[in-house]
Amino acid sequence: MSYKEKKTIVSLVTGLLILATYCIYTLNKIQLGTAALDDLKFWATTILIFIGIGVVALIIILIVFHILLSVTIAVKEEIQNGEYDDKKIAKTLELDMVEDEMDKLIGLKAMRISLAVVGIGFIAALVSLVLNYSPAVMLNILFFSFGIGSMIEGFTQLYFYRRGVRNG
Amino acid sequence: MAKKIQITNNIRKFRFFANEMTQQQLAEKAGVSRQTIMAIEAGKYSPSLELAFRIADAFGVKIGEVFDYQVKED
Repeated sequence: MSYKEKKTIVSLVTGLLILATYCIYTLNKIQLGTAALDDLKFWATTILIFIGIGVVALIIILIVFHILLSVTIAVKEEIQNGEYDDKKIAKTLELDMVEDEMDKLIGLKAMRISLAVVGIGFIAALVSLVLNYSPAVMLNILFFSFGIGSMIEGFTQLYFYRRGVRNG
Repeated sequence: MAKKIQITNNIRKFRFFANEMTQQQLAEKAGVSRQTIMAIEAGKYSPSLELAFRIADAFGVKIGEVFDYQVKED
């Protein structure tokens, strides 16, 4: 498995954990009665906080991922050659991290699918308002469509890295 | 309607004749990741014209010797 596939999986798992934590947190609040469905300020604050947590968590997890990857490469080198060279490890990582034309093409194709999901989510959010659901439902549909869209983007990237990608 | 074409390549053969050049070495010469070279070699990705030229240049041959195409009949 390549560096980019591993990085995509790490981002996917992080996104999934954030969404799961959001669901557990908000459901708990509703069950305890500390949050009402029509309390827009609560939902906006919670979503903003979770967006912040998501960004910070992703940065921290990716830093830890890179450290672990470097350690893994060093251990592999040590087992194979009996020693490891810091510069060689840095070069291996640098070469793996190169973003070339295939990565850009895969990124663009995955983003197109992700945007379609977000678009469907936006329409679903508007429909929810037309059907007289609370604006909080609309906010949640929007939040989830971004979250799910981001995850579908990751899955699509993994698919294209495995199956290959064609121009056009 | 234009017929579909499939791009084929002889990268594996040229790597063998280049003193068993590794995919990593070719990737470094062409300025892409090893994964991209793997995908091109396996026919999973058709490179841009620029990258195709760079790969041919890494072997010191003309592009037509490394890449070819077959017309796919429906």
